Amino acid sequence: MRTFVGIDLGSTTTKAVLMDENKEVIGRGITNSRSNYATAARVASEEARIDARFTLFRRALHVGEAGHEHSAEFLAALERNFRLIQFLEQLDDLEETCHRQLEAERFKAVAGPLQEALHVIFARLREEAASLYAPGAKRKSDFFRDIAGSRFHVHAEAVAREMGIALEMVLNAYDKSIIEVENRPPGGELSEKFRRAVARMLAVDSHAADGEGDFAAMIESALGIELEETYLVGTGYGRVTLPFSKEHIRSEILCHGLGAHMMYPGTRTVLDIGGQDTKGIQIDGHGIVENFQMNDRCAAGCGRYLGYIADEMNMGLHELGPLAMQSNRPARINSTCTVFAGAELRDRLSLGEKREDILAGLHRAIILRAISIISRSGGVTDQFTFTGGVAKNEAAVRELRKLIQENYGEVTININPDSIYTGALGASEFARRAVAA
Amino acid sequence: MTITSGIDVGTGAIKVVAFEVDGDQERCLGKRVERVRQRDPLKLAGDIYDDLLKETGVVRADVAYCATTGEGEALTFHTGHFYSMTTHARGAIYLNPASRAVLDTGALHGRAIRMDERGKVLAYKMTSQCASGSGQFLENIARYLGIAQDEIGSLSQRADNPEKVSGICAVLAETDVINMVSRGISSPNILRGIHESMADRLAKLLKTLGSLDGTVQMTGGLALDAGLVEAMKDAVVKAKVDVAIESHPDSIYAGAIGAALWGAFRHKRLADMARAA
Repeated sequence: MRTFVGIDLGSTTTKAVLMDENKEVIGRGITNSRSNYATAARVASEEARIDARFTLFRRALHVGEAGHEHSAEFLAALERNFRLIQFLEQLDDLEETCHRQLEAERFKAVAGPLQEALHVIFARLREEAASLYAPGAKRKSDFFRDIAGSRFHVHAEAVAREMGIALEMVLNAYDKSIIEVENRPPGGELSEKFRRAVARMLAVDSHAADGEGDFAAMIESALGIELEETYLVGTGYGRVTLPFSKEHIRSEILCHGLGAHMMYPGTRTVLDIGGQDTKGIQIDGHGIVENFQMNDRCAAGCGRYLGYIADEMNMGLHELGPLAMQSNRPARINSTCTVFAGAELRDRLSLGEKREDILAGLHRAIILRAISIISRSGGVTDQFTFTGGVAKNEAAVRELRKLIQENYGEVTININPDSIYTGALGASEFARRAVAA
Repeated sequence: MTITSGIDVGTGAIKVVAFEVDGDQERCLGKRVERVRQRDPLKLAGDIYDDLLKETGVVRADVAYCATTGEGEALTFHTGHFYSMTTHARGAIYLNPASRAVLDTGALHGRAIRMDERGKVLAYKMTSQCASGSGQFLENIARYLGIAQDEIGSLSQRADNPEKVSGICAVLAETDVINMVSRGISSPNILRGIHESMADRLAKLLKTLGSLDGTVQMTGGLALDAGLVEAMKDAVVKAKVDVAIESHPDSIYAGAIGAALWGAFRHKRLADMARAA
């Protein structure tokens, strides 16, 4: 089938959307951006193709139709096994790379014990990998760097203590390896990995294919459908570094405006809080941008602010919102700068203030800054759409509703669960129009 | 003869020292430094403190005065607390009696302090409420480049064409470095560029203290960074501040040392007062 690809190269994450000829999104993919946008683009579109395969599997296995009750369960298990296979592959790569670092001069004196420590750490990482991808397991993030990094840290600390070696050295070997590893796009053929995941499942759970025909054969037939990349449009912070010609590039403001319009044709004001910039955009009834305003080069008031706070608290980014929701007495945060806010957070914690109250205050702080950007772009006109990664955060949304209500009265507020893909969605529509025109 | 201790709880690292003070004789019994690394700083401070005491063969009860500085005020077992500017000034005098000013480069703030020969603070200035160009900022970048802290200095000294950086947000630094890396700029040139922009800011800070005589002692975690020290020496020349910049292998302990010594001073005063009463 013909597909149209939109890629949004954000500063923090890179998103890809695959659209078919009927303007239907069949796949979405996301990865963390790295020092190499070409790799990020490749990984994100591969993730979108994986997601598209699952869309095709769902169609092939009649998910949601009567008499196919087990299909969804089977596909959920397939996805878990597929992700586990991917994770273990990258873990092998990381281990090899870490060991290679030990040949350097600085590790000479401790190479032996370090090698041993790495063996133990990676053995533990592998041992727990299956549980990370068990049914219902919660992961801090879906990116290899985050999962492997946080678990490596935990095991490294324990192993360094047990073996009496310097933790700094162990972490340094990891730091020197992780960029290299994440800049190697996952190797191997996708279809092959799906087949291995199916085989793995059938080995573990022989009646996975019970009563509803042969799941494995259905998967095989869905793998036979070719996904042709008909046209691609790139946007976002890193778009200029892409190896694309000019006609394959659109500004992120245009893509966000169009993407928001496609989700909500009635929208006139869009707030996008991304990783490192916050944009207020005014659009007309066709999704064309009329005015916009954005923050400049400061993380306060963007997604990274919350990311940083999550790191400070040793929590996953998506754990922040739920915790902040438990507060009804937000603290008044005095620091503007993200790093200082992090220090203020620690101070307040050591003074015995409640975690949820401090967090609620931090969420309020980020939204206050966003509101000031919207007002400079021309205020809020009904309907208002909130996009970007932060729109997934219920505590941020709660503060936003409150502040919009206080400042602009009754306004319809649209929030789409896939809003992080808004820019990529707009880009994929530009790609579709480029061919349709 | 009195045994005192100093605990400097910083944002990035915990520094602990133990001293034996007898009149004018000050002898360091032991010192410890450990990075916080997302652990509970107060619990960590207690652990390191006990480790150090064990190493020096004393127990908590032998310590006449346990002084804290930095964020250490919340430690339940301390005798008293001293502000960072006073402890760094005192610590600098201990490390180098010719010091008349301190440049403290910590994880969050840069501080410039002017003091007299006894370590009394005469003037004090601190960087603004933005972490751009702070120690934390440098660390974020080094981590991203896979460079350990002890490698930063020598790499920076190998720069041949420093990349100008100015006012980059500490949190977004990674993105800027990503772009530098993808433009093919070498790690030494990135690091030296950062050192230069940090040094320029610190030189401005020094300038605001008024006229300086004597040496400027660098303290805090970044004083060990040879690249920053070198950039600092260039920056004061450029800013027309006529001072000698010095660092010391124990610069990172300046706050903890100052705390232990002020602790001894206060302990003696309290004892004198008790006797007089």
